[in-house]
Amino acid sequence: MTQTLLPVALANYVGLSAVIFFIGVAGVMLRRNPLVMLMSIELMWNAANLLFLAFARAWMNDAGHIFAFLVITVAAAEAAIGLAIVVAVFRTARNVDVDEVALMKG
Amino acid sequence: MTTNLYSQADWAAVTPLFVVGITALVVLLADLFAKRHSNRYVSLLLGVLGLGAAAVICAQSYGQNYAAFGGGFVLGGFTVVFEEIILLAAGFSLVLYGAIGSEERMAGVVALMLWGTSGAMLMAGAANLMTIFLGLELLSLALYCLCGLAARATAREAALKYLILSSAASGFMLYGMALLFGASGSVALSALTAASVAASPFFWMGCGLFLVGLTFKLSLVPFHVWAPDVYEGAPLPVTAFMSVVTKAGALAVFARFAYAALPSGAAAHLLLPIWIVAGASMLVGNLGMLAQTDIKRLLAYSGIAQIGYIVAALAGGTSQGLRYAIYYLVAYTFMNLGAFAVVALCSTDKEEGSHVAALHGLGYRRPALAAAMTFFLLALAGFPPTAGFLGKVFILATNVGSGYAWLAALLIIGTAISLYAYFKVIRAMYDRAPSHRVVDVRPVAPLAWLSLAICLAGVLVMTFYPLTPSNVLPLVK
Repeated sequence: MTQTLLPVALANYVGLSAVIFFIGVAGVMLRRNPLVMLMSIELMWNAANLLFLAFARAWMNDAGHIFAFLVITVAAAEAAIGLAIVVAVFRTARNVDVDEVALMKG
Repeated sequence: MTTNLYSQADWAAVTPLFVVGITALVVLLADLFAKRHSNRYVSLLLGVLGLGAAAVICAQSYGQNYAAFGGGFVLGGFTVVFEEIILLAAGFSLVLYGAIGSEERMAGVVALMLWGTSGAMLMAGAANLMTIFLGLELLSLALYCLCGLAARATAREAALKYLILSSAASGFMLYGMALLFGASGSVALSALTAASVAASPFFWMGCGLFLVGLTFKLSLVPFHVWAPDVYEGAPLPVTAFMSVVTKAGALAVFARFAYAALPSGAAAHLLLPIWIVAGASMLVGNLGMLAQTDIKRLLAYSGIAQIGYIVAALAGGTSQGLRYAIYYLVAYTFMNLGAFAVVALCSTDKEEGSHVAALHGLGYRRPALAAAMTFFLLALAGFPPTAGFLGKVFILATNVGSGYAWLAALLIIGTAISLYAYFKVIRAMYDRAPSHRVVDVRPVAPLAWLSLAICLAGVLVMTFYPLTPSNVLPLVK
């Protein structure tokens, strides 16, 4: 038995991914907690992933799928390093508000 | 049934990258077995040998043009030249770390620098969006760790700032890449040259976001604020590494994109903002230098201005412009790393003599070192008997020749401003009355002296033999 997927127009995917991307951008710009900022960055990256998958289907080009897998892998490595750095900063500063992590200015 | 997807030639094209990456593993492995007090030299020796071997293998492929892995990595004169610059800068940074870095972190730092180097080399040859992203992230991930490896609180702060800002910039770039993929239906840069691509609305948005990300990595003006903080906080050899390797990698990607991957009509409109940004970097970088009291911050602002000069050389889209950009990049590598070597020779692991006050009266305490520093600063400022002067003349000539006289004017104004900042440091070194007691730090570092001498020789040789490789136009397939 074949199942037909509901046809979803490309524009919907692009619109959704744009919204997610801007939520991510706003999070990085407005929030001051590094953990939240890292999560917002993940949103930006995953918005791009969604776009890759949507275009992969629109163009019938598997490269978009492979790119998305690549991004997921790199994002995992990035998150591991990011959390390690946040922990290291927290150990010295006892807080993780980026406004108070400001020894260097100018 | 097995099919052989990739030929011997494909693997041969990326052998230098593999040599560097595998050397990093060998360094970590050797560190397990090395004796307590010899691991500094074991790691350093292995690292430098690996880079040297990669440089030799890389040089042998000069003159070949080959699109390996279906156009993922394109070998050509352009790629080889950038790979060699990256390997050279990485070698210097390793040596500087060997001279002043801490013993116990040695193997880790060497390995991370080597992985970062292989990422930058991948960027040098990358001709599709995937390999560009992979190279960029390989470099960036290594740099986040390297920034945070010093025990000082400022180093961790620098790592956090760099991590968040750089990942966000990668996010912009990635989203731009996704839109470019949507515009052309392919991840290959060569697909972007089709005239139909320029008609897609995704193309313009995608290019914009892609270039924003790249501008950040190049530390050009609106996205330069991270550079001084990160340069100041990171350990000195890491700063040296970052100041050249990241810029060389990002410049290679930008040059390939600007020269070979745009629809013919689109380039002029699309790249104009980049030239404006390059001009603004010359002014902001040089003005920013005036207020600095830390040599690493000063060199960060100097680097912002210098990358502005280098990018400006590409403005006409001529092969001559690219040759001059490469000439200036090599000159910058020597001048900049020379200055870093001098600071390293006033530093130890515990105490970095990067404050301008630490150089106070250096001309009387250590005349040779002060003379070398003066030479490098004059070269960065662009004084006549140096490669810095010649490079600037080349860039002026190509800018005026290709109708970007306003960039040339900005270059001259920027240089005039920078003179004051560089002379402030030189004056401090030859100031007889010290404002306060300066502790003279003298690490025993023959290796740092060696790299200093090589940088000096490099700047001088480039002045009298201004050779530029002729086979440098970037290819996309």
